[in-house]
Amino acid sequence: MAESRSNRAAVQATNDDASASKLSCVKKGYMKDDYVHLFVKRPLRRSPIINRGYFSRWAAFRKLLAQFLESGISSNETAQPKKQILSLGAGFDTTYFQLLDEGKAPFLYVELDFKEVTSKKAAVIENSSQLRDKILGANSSISVEEGQVLSDHYKLLPVDLRDIPKLRDVVSFAGMDPSLPTFIIAECVLIYLDPDSSRAIVNWASKTFSTAVFFLYEQIHPDDAFGHQMIINLESRGCALLSIDASPTLLAKERLFLENGWQRAVAWDMLKVYGSFVDTQEKRRIERLELVAHDAGKSIIIHLINLVFHPFYVMGKGISSIYEHYCVTYAVNDAMGIFGDFGFTRGSRESMNISSAMSP
Amino acid sequence: MSDLDRQIEQLKRCEPLSESEVKSLCLKAMEILVEESNVQRVDAPVTLCGDIHGQFYDMMELFKVGGDCPKTNYLFLGDFVDRGYYSVETFLLLLALKVRYPDRITLIRGNHESRQITQVYGFYDECVRKYGSVNVWRYCTDIFDYMSLSAVVENKIFCVHGGLSPTINTLDQIRTIDRKQEVPHDGAMCDLLWSDPEDIVEGWGLSPRGAGFLFGGSVVTTFNHTNNIDYIGRAHQLVMEGYKWMFDSQIVTVWSAPNYCYRCGNIASILELDENLNKEFRVFQAAQQDSRGPPAKKPAPDYFL
Repeated sequence: MAESRSNRAAVQATNDDASASKLSCVKKGYMKDDYVHLFVKRPLRRSPIINRGYFSRWAAFRKLLAQFLESGISSNETAQPKKQILSLGAGFDTTYFQLLDEGKAPFLYVELDFKEVTSKKAAVIENSSQLRDKILGANSSISVEEGQVLSDHYKLLPVDLRDIPKLRDVVSFAGMDPSLPTFIIAECVLIYLDPDSSRAIVNWASKTFSTAVFFLYEQIHPDDAFGHQMIINLESRGCALLSIDASPTLLAKERLFLENGWQRAVAWDMLKVYGSFVDTQEKRRIERLELVAHDAGKSIIIHLINLVFHPFYVMGKGISSIYEHYCVTYAVNDAMGIFGDFGFTRGSRESMNISSAMSP
Repeated sequence: MSDLDRQIEQLKRCEPLSESEVKSLCLKAMEILVEESNVQRVDAPVTLCGDIHGQFYDMMELFKVGGDCPKTNYLFLGDFVDRGYYSVETFLLLLALKVRYPDRITLIRGNHESRQITQVYGFYDECVRKYGSVNVWRYCTDIFDYMSLSAVVENKIFCVHGGLSPTINTLDQIRTIDRKQEVPHDGAMCDLLWSDPEDIVEGWGLSPRGAGFLFGGSVVTTFNHTNNIDYIGRAHQLVMEGYKWMFDSQIVTVWSAPNYCYRCGNIASILELDENLNKEFRVFQAAQQDSRGPPAKKPAPDYFL
């Protein structure tokens, strides 16, 4: 039963779908990613609602990641604290290469996934000088057969995340230092695993990394009409969300972390993330991208913005927005005390401080 | 069997017509539509249908529930195209039925029957994908300009895609609009296709859609009274339960795209009016997977993965 609802190849194929969608966003100008095209065989155009959803997820991820990378840095210290990033089920994500270009790459970036995926990724890296040259060094090696890329600051390694002892071994083999501030990424990964495995991973991460942020992006609300249909549609392609009933709400996502050793956890749905966390200027920029009013003046463009991005006008009860069925949850362990103001509300607090500082 | 009957049979199998067939079908449709009033008179009995949005196989469910045209007299309230996978086949079938049985099916314009909107929401892309050129999209969007803006059933039920306009008090004012143009971004014609009724609005309010207005119960009361109308039938908004009355049964929203965008999980409805204007809503679900043609032809609905 569980076999037909969820199969390994189908879940791995979600990675190709995600890469194609990210490329769709990049081509439309939502975000910059000079590398994702290397991983996409058949580019396609996604609808505005999907493009914006991927953009929101990317924007939230990059904003929280930036906060992590900036935390613990005081202006009078020249030596920056070493930091590391661990990406669980990384797929073809290209964040490491983007961070390199931006001069923000951490001391160590480790990506884990099924061997079928890491092997393909290793092959793309090997065959693309654009990527290969970035990680090449005296100690680097690429093995497509092993699904492995090893370099001083970047490691790509195969593992089945459900096997915690193996996960522990791989992370230690990768040279991760449990005492360093660590950013852990799991985007649409844990939800495909059985609830025991999801919990075990969250628990292991908390026990292993005492100063860490866990970034989780995945589905919620399986029980309303939209959610019910989402489950049916995803199961029909072999991608059952095995963990969704174990944490079906924002509160349950927070509890998943709090009950497994994390000090603090906050979950927002993507409607709220877009509304209250994504930068206003960025929103203004991307809300113009889909407009095709070539024969139209400026006022018309502004007119069209809302109708492009608010596609569902629903009467009566029932959530039908796809954005309300996805959420970002972050959890924090702060042994070093560097994440005091980390989170969704940091920006707003800052702006409050600025305005109060400016008032006489 | 005439060419047109053969084309209708072909379209009912969800097989698109050739480009030249589309061209001549559109020319014939244009001759019929150009004669229609901005407030097209429709006789009862008639069945009101809301948004379809290219969900061809779900429209086949609609015909199963409501009966075939011409046996059943239909009034479609617009938004035939965009979002679903089969806007081409959906619109062409409705248009072919219109040409074949002009007095048994009425098609009025929705906000998606527009050049600008279809370039964003899928109909344009679908035409280019299925025909390799923009010609079919051009023929169809040219036809959109000829479609009527509203209808009135037995002079008692005013039917429109979206809703009312602050610049319109009487049906005669609608009749004076020069409709043969792309949907404008404001003004009466725009409002008819874009506006929404809203509980919490007193009078008129700004629409979050960026086009049209929100209008409250008092606006509807005045309009219905002025024009001696029993109630307004409209579409344009997803109703999870298929239909919804508002303002003490002065306006009803009918939604006919079940499981909208293949994602929303809603049911759909049509409103059957008999010769005495007695009402019966018929609700229906999305077509079963196995009636949707070969599996290879089914693209999966998009999610964030």
